[in-house]
Amino acid sequence: MDGPVRSRLASLSDFQFGAVATETIEDALLHLAQQNEQAVQEAAGRRGSFRETRIVEFVFLLSEQWCLEKSVSYQAVEILERFMVKQAENMNRQATIQLREKKEAQNWKTLKEQLFNKFILRLVSCVQLASKLSFHYKIISNVTVLNFLQSLGYVHTKEELLESELDVLKSLNFQINLPTPLAYVEMLLEVLGYNGCLVPATQLHATCLTLLDLVYLLHEPIYESLLRASIENSVPSQLQGEKFVSVKEDFMLLAVGIIAASAFIQNHECWSQVVGHLQSITGIASESIAEFSYAILTHSVGANTPGRQQPVPPHLESRALRATASSNT
Amino acid sequence: MDPRGPAPQPLQKPEKPGRVRRRKTRRERNKALMGSRRPLTRQDPPVTCQDPSVAPTAPKLVVITQGRLSREHRGLFNHEVKSLDVARLLSCESLEPGTPSVPTKPSPSPRRAQEPAPQSRGKENQVPRGSGPGPPSPPELPGLGQLLEELQCQLILPQAFPRRNLVQEARDAIVSTLQACHGCVPDLTVVLRGCQPPLPGTKPGGPESRRMTPSWINSPEPAPGEGRQRRQQRTKELTFAMPHTSSTPMVHRVSLAQPKGPWPPPLPLLPSPSGAAWGPPTAFDLLKSIWLVATPPPPRPWGVGPQQPVPQPPSPLLPGTSALDWSPSPPAPLPSLSWVVAQSSPEAWSFPPMRLY
Repeated sequence: MDGPVRSRLASLSDFQFGAVATETIEDALLHLAQQNEQAVQEAAGRRGSFRETRIVEFVFLLSEQWCLEKSVSYQAVEILERFMVKQAENMNRQATIQLREKKEAQNWKTLKEQLFNKFILRLVSCVQLASKLSFHYKIISNVTVLNFLQSLGYVHTKEELLESELDVLKSLNFQINLPTPLAYVEMLLEVLGYNGCLVPATQLHATCLTLLDLVYLLHEPIYESLLRASIENSVPSQLQGEKFVSVKEDFMLLAVGIIAASAFIQNHECWSQVVGHLQSITGIASESIAEFSYAILTHSVGANTPGRQQPVPPHLESRALRATASSNT
Repeated sequence: MDPRGPAPQPLQKPEKPGRVRRRKTRRERNKALMGSRRPLTRQDPPVTCQDPSVAPTAPKLVVITQGRLSREHRGLFNHEVKSLDVARLLSCESLEPGTPSVPTKPSPSPRRAQEPAPQSRGKENQVPRGSGPGPPSPPELPGLGQLLEELQCQLILPQAFPRRNLVQEARDAIVSTLQACHGCVPDLTVVLRGCQPPLPGTKPGGPESRRMTPSWINSPEPAPGEGRQRRQQRTKELTFAMPHTSSTPMVHRVSLAQPKGPWPPPLPLLPSPSGAAWGPPTAFDLLKSIWLVATPPPPRPWGVGPQQPVPQPPSPLLPGTSALDWSPSPPAPLPSLSWVVAQSSPEAWSFPPMRLY
């Protein structure tokens, strides 16, 4: 079972932290933060996402089969998601226009079928595009893609493949170099290393990757838990769900949650130190970091959780404890 | 055979009346055949190239070049000259070559719907020609979120990777790491219980960290009031801190060019006692501060908290909708973030400029 995971992680053994000048790290971190700020603001108007476990798993496994870096698989998911959201937006817009102008009656079934028929081709194109953003020697060739598609029973020509890539590119206005949470995780790990974090960054990094995989795979359930925890387990309203979209796009928050969860897994004693560092670096409240890492951890251990706790009671418990502590101080 | 049949006849016609004997050599016949075929070769380029810009050049006498480019070596896509095709792909209006695609049935009509800027012109964007047999569009179109959900649910992915379950694999990896590090799967609520210590007493680190972190961390714990200044000094983290705020003064970035390792407190004492040094709250913090009003401090009038009441600037994230507002009838200042943060921070927290980051 662990074989594939281990083999993937093995390729990271030469990953080096602490090799970059601090000025560079600082600039990069500031840049990431600005990027994140912008993404969070832009996400406020977004009304949907396209991240489903099966789809993400397919992308991950395909990337693994083609020996792509983890960053490539994350980027492929991001590209695919944006592209599909654009497609849905276009469908919606065109249908609305036609409805308004009382032109031909829209047939949603046909529209969706068209989308479905091309989906695998588009998915593969997204992975291929993501591979082109990575190392040039790991670019996935058209032949590889066509062979893969053929093995699944999809016969396409090279032209169709190129057109599919072009469709994705044009749909996203050629903006496909999308940020991924991995960049945030690695940047924060780098800073943690400089700041004297006790848990070695390389050690945290490996676990972070597994956790990040899980967050991608269980995106909706994990954020649902977080949302429920933030409203004390009441049923979230639609408006609350929409407002929460910006939280979902906050990669800095995700990164600190991942690292904190990783620190808990690796070295439970140093957990609070890591959280303190993360709080100092990012300004995110330790309570939020803890809640997010708790949501990640509970979903990570799945049914193996001893006496699996729902988010709410511990949340209230933590509040009670916090109140007690503050009253003591 | 048919196309060739009628062709030689007109050539033979003038000769027939003169002589009965057929005396055409093979060479002559070939010549005649060549003459009759030429029109056929000339017909090729318009059929295969499909580009009107090339048509004028087709009648040139360079037949060999035509044949090589348009027939035998048809370029990248096996039926078009490569350069022509790239031009077509990059041009705004796409000329659909109408190549047959076996399983996916691409819509053969050209994609004409030109959407402004970033709109996709993918085939799936096309409005299907002709109203299909299906039900007409519902009077109310589903929302985008709903449509995406439908798409996700109805999507059928091929079984490309049987017997692989990444969720389970990742979970197994995590559990095995937990068991290796802790001997068992620990109680995860420790995470939530542990979210308070880093602030008051146990600064990042603990006993071990004190060996690694600089002396200013080892110094006795300050009074709560000193906490902020110490925190600002504590590590260079603070120089890294606040990357969120684009408005954050770059003063905090001073002296980052320190060697690797625990950093001395290089920063001058930063005067900022306000929360700006911590940076604005995240969207998550903000939403929680709005939604979690269940345990406000003591029951006192809203807006009069133990801390100084801080005016709340309007937030772009949180419009003044009543749906988000849980506060009692006078929707005056909510239990602000200052209270929430103060619970986990000994330092005074003033409400930062309302930015998501």
